[in-house]
Amino acid sequence: MLDFFTIFSKGGLVLWCFQGVRGPAATAPVNALIRSVLLQERGGNNSFTHEALTLKYKLDNQFELVFVVGFQKILTLTYVDKLIDDVHKEFRDKYRNEFQQKGALGLLNGTFDFKDDFMRLLRDAEESSKVRAPTVMKTFEQSLKSQKTVKCMIETRGEKPKEKVKNKKNKGSKREGTEAVAAPAKAPAGDKQPSASGEKEELTKDEILQKNREEFFKRHMKAGEKSSKSPKPDAQKEKGKKPRVWDLGNSNAKVLDYSNSATNGSAEACPVEEFDPDTALGDRNREPGRLYDLEYESDDEAEEKVIQNPSKPSSKKGGLGGMFGMLKGLVGSKSLTREDMDPVLEKMKDHLIAKNVAAEIAVQLCESVAKKLEGKVMGTFTTVTSTVKQALQEALVQILQPQRRVDVLRDVMDAQRNRRPYVVTFCGVNGVGKSTNLAKISFWLIENGFSVLIAACDTFRAGAVEQLRTHTRRLNALHPPESHGGRTMVQLYEKGYGKDAAGIAMEAISYARNQGFDVVLVDTAGRMQDNAPLMTALAKLIAVNAPDLVLFVGEALVGNEAVDQLVKFNKALADHSMAQTPRLIDGIVLTKFDTIDDKVGAAISMTYITSKPIVFVGTGQTYCDLRSLNAKAVVAALMKA
Amino acid sequence: MTAGLEPHLAVLRGELGASGPALLSVLLALIVVVVTIVIWRCVQGRRSGRRAVLLLGLCDAGKTLLFARLLTGKYRDTQTSITDTSAVYRANNDKSTNVTLIDLPGHESLRLQFLERFKAAARAIVFVVDSVAFQREVKDVAEFLYQILIDSTVLKNAPALLIACNKQDVTMAKSAKLIQQQLEKELNTLRVTRSAAPSSLDGSVTGVPAQLGKKGKEFDFSQLPMKVEFVECSARGSKGEEGDADFEGLEKWLAKIA
Repeated sequence: MLDFFTIFSKGGLVLWCFQGVRGPAATAPVNALIRSVLLQERGGNNSFTHEALTLKYKLDNQFELVFVVGFQKILTLTYVDKLIDDVHKEFRDKYRNEFQQKGALGLLNGTFDFKDDFMRLLRDAEESSKVRAPTVMKTFEQSLKSQKTVKCMIETRGEKPKEKVKNKKNKGSKREGTEAVAAPAKAPAGDKQPSASGEKEELTKDEILQKNREEFFKRHMKAGEKSSKSPKPDAQKEKGKKPRVWDLGNSNAKVLDYSNSATNGSAEACPVEEFDPDTALGDRNREPGRLYDLEYESDDEAEEKVIQNPSKPSSKKGGLGGMFGMLKGLVGSKSLTREDMDPVLEKMKDHLIAKNVAAEIAVQLCESVAKKLEGKVMGTFTTVTSTVKQALQEALVQILQPQRRVDVLRDVMDAQRNRRPYVVTFCGVNGVGKSTNLAKISFWLIENGFSVLIAACDTFRAGAVEQLRTHTRRLNALHPPESHGGRTMVQLYEKGYGKDAAGIAMEAISYARNQGFDVVLVDTAGRMQDNAPLMTALAKLIAVNAPDLVLFVGEALVGNEAVDQLVKFNKALADHSMAQTPRLIDGIVLTKFDTIDDKVGAAISMTYITSKPIVFVGTGQTYCDLRSLNAKAVVAALMKA
Repeated sequence: MTAGLEPHLAVLRGELGASGPALLSVLLALIVVVVTIVIWRCVQGRRSGRRAVLLLGLCDAGKTLLFARLLTGKYRDTQTSITDTSAVYRANNDKSTNVTLIDLPGHESLRLQFLERFKAAARAIVFVVDSVAFQREVKDVAEFLYQILIDSTVLKNAPALLIACNKQDVTMAKSAKLIQQQLEKELNTLRVTRSAAPSSLDGSVTGVPAQLGKKGKEFDFSQLPMKVEFVECSARGSKGEEGDADFEGLEKWLAKIA
C-alpha cells in the first residue's frame, strides 16, 4: 500500500529507496517535505501532505539520517508509525559500522542491501494491523442467564417487597390521604392471610399490594409523628419573629455624620502640618517650568546588580551537577534524550515568550528543535544547555533568512526597463505606521533616483490624504526638481474621501504609466483582521490591481496578535482572489522597532507564520529611520539572557 | 653545550632535592601540561591550514551529485541537502595531494550559515550553476555569488574560484561564455543596488561596504583579487546513470590548485 520509502542522509545522498506502487519518483515530494517542514522548523508534527500523498518522516540525529515513507492521502494506514520505528532500528543496527567508522565515504561507497529486511518488516506491520473479524454475539447457551435456575428467578416475599415499596412510594404518595384510613382496617385482615398462606409461594397481586400499603403506612405513621413535632418549634419561632434591625439602618444622616462639626469648613481648626517644601517639590535644582527628559539608566548596570545575587547560590548547586555532567561527557559519548532536553527547552520557551515571541510559535519552535536534537551524540565538553541553545540559535537564524531575494531596487530597475511602474501596496491593521513608513520608503527611493507616485487609497480616515500631501510637499522640498533634471520626484494621486479604493489604485497606476513614474506606492486604510467586508475590499484591491509587491506593515510591539493578523490577512487574500495562484503577502515591514529594546520576538513570529522575509525595519519617525534586517543581531538580542 | 648546562642542572637538582619531593612532582606536572599544550597547538595549526574546497551553489544545481561523482565515480540519487558533507579527495596530479571536498547545502535559509562556518578554511571555491535554469535564476545566482565575493574573509584569503556550469548534458543548457557575460552584467547592477540598500539594524557591521571590482568601469571577473575560471561539466554524464560524468575540466582544475 506504500508509494515509497526512502532513507537518505542529511547531506543529501539517498542510501536506499523502495518504490512500492508504480508511480512518480519519490524525489519531488521528499524535496517539498524537506523544504517546507525541516527547513522551516515546523518539525513538531511528523506528517506532511503534498498533493495526493501523505508523507511521514523520522530523523536519526545520531547518524544524520532521514527516513521518509509516502502513501496515498485517502488511505489511513495505522501501521506506518510502527513500521518507521522498526525500520529505523534495524537499519541503524545493521549498518552501524559504516556510519561510525567510515563517515561520508562509507555512505558514498556502501551498498545498502536492505530490501529483504524491509519486505519482512512491512509484512509484519501489515499483518499486525489487519482488521479483526467483528465480534460475534454470544449465543443464548453461552450467556450466564441460561445457567441460572428457575428457582432463583422466582420472586419471594422477603426480597421483592422492598423493591416494590420503593416504587410504590412515588405512586402512593398521592393516594396516602384516602388510603390512610382504609389501610389500617384492612391491615390486620391482610396480615393474617399471608401468614396463613405462607406455604404458597406465589401471592396474588392484590395481596401483595395490600401488604405493601400497610407497611408503607406504618412507616408513614412514624414519620408523621416526627414531622408533627417539627412544625411546633417552627411555629414558636414564627411568633417570635421580629423585624430585623440593621445597625445603622434607621438612623438618619445626622447620626451618620462623624465629621467634627466644629472643624468643618473652618480654616483655623485645621492643624498646621509640618509642610516641608523640599519633600513636596523634590529636586530643588530643577529649572522652574522646564520639562525634563526621561532618565535612562544603562540596562547593563541594572542587570548586573540583579543577576549577581541570584547567580551566586545557583552556581554552587550548578557546580556539582555541571561537573558530573562534564565527567559523563568526557568519559563516554552521551546521546541526548527527551528527558534531558525537556527542562532546558521549557526554560528556553519561557525565555522566548518573555521576549515577545508568540506563544504557539515558541512551542512549535521548541518542539522542532527537540526533534532535531533527539538522539544526537554530544561532543566532549558540551553541556545539554549549550547544545540546545546552539541548536535554537541556528534555528532562529534559519527562520529569519529570507527565502527569496529581497532587493527592491533591482526589481524596480527591471520594471523601469519594461517601461511600467513598480507597484507596492501597504496593508495592515490600524495605527501601525503605514503612511509614515510609506513616506520613508519613498524618500529612500528618491535618494536612489527613482520617481515616486503616492496613491492615496485611504479614503476613510480623516486627514489621511492631507498627511500624505504634507509628506509629498516635504519630500519635494528636500529633493527639488532642479536637482533631478526638472522632474518632480514625488507626486500625490488622490481623489478625496469616501471613494472606492480599488478604483483609485487602478487610475493611479495608469496615470503613472502615462507620466513615466518609476514606482507607485499605494497606501490603504488600516483595518482589523476580523472585519470581513473590509478584508474583502482589500483583497479586491490587490486582486484587481496585481501589485508587484504586497507589504504587510506590522509593529514590533505586537505580541500573540501577530499570528492572528497575518493568518487572517493571508486567508482573506487567498479566499477572495479569482486567480489560480492568489497573490499573498510578499514581505513584511516591521515598524516601531525603536520602542522595543531587545524584545524582538515579533520578527520571529511574523516570519515564521508567513515564511516571507522582513523587507524593511522602521526605527523612528524621521525619513532616515529605515533599516534592513540583520538576522544575526536580532537573534543575538533574542538569545541574550 | 651540555658542559655549560651541567653545573646549572646540578644546582637545580640540589635545590629541588632540598625542597622535597612534593615540589618536584608539581614541577613535573607543570612541564607535562606545557608540553601537551605545545603539541596540541602544533597539531591544530597543521589542521587549520586552508585545505578545503567548498562546493557552493543554488538549490538543485547538482552539488551533491558532483561530490559523489568526484569521490566515487558512481551515480547516486540525491535529495536536498540539509547539512554539509565532507570527505578527502585525492587529486590526480603528480604530487597526488589531498584536499577536503566539502559539499554545502544550497537552500536559502542555510547557505549563509554554512558559508560562515567554512569560509575561513577555504582554499578554493567551486560555484556550481545550473545551466538549464540559468536564464530564469540569473538574479538569484548573481546575488549568491555577490554575497560570497563581498565577504571580508573571502576577499582577504582570495581563494581560487571556479564557476562550474553544470547540467551540460541537457540540450537547452547555456554555454559557459554566455553565463559569464550575463553574470558580469548582473553583478554590475547588483553593485549599485546592494550598496544603496538601507543600512543594517545595528549600524553597518562592516564599516565601509566593500566595493566589488573597479569603480567607474563595468564589472569584469578579471577585476577580482582571486583567479576566476569558467568550466562546463555534467555530473550526470552524457550516458546517464551508468556512464561516467563529464568533468575533465573540473578535475584538471582541482589537480592544479591542490
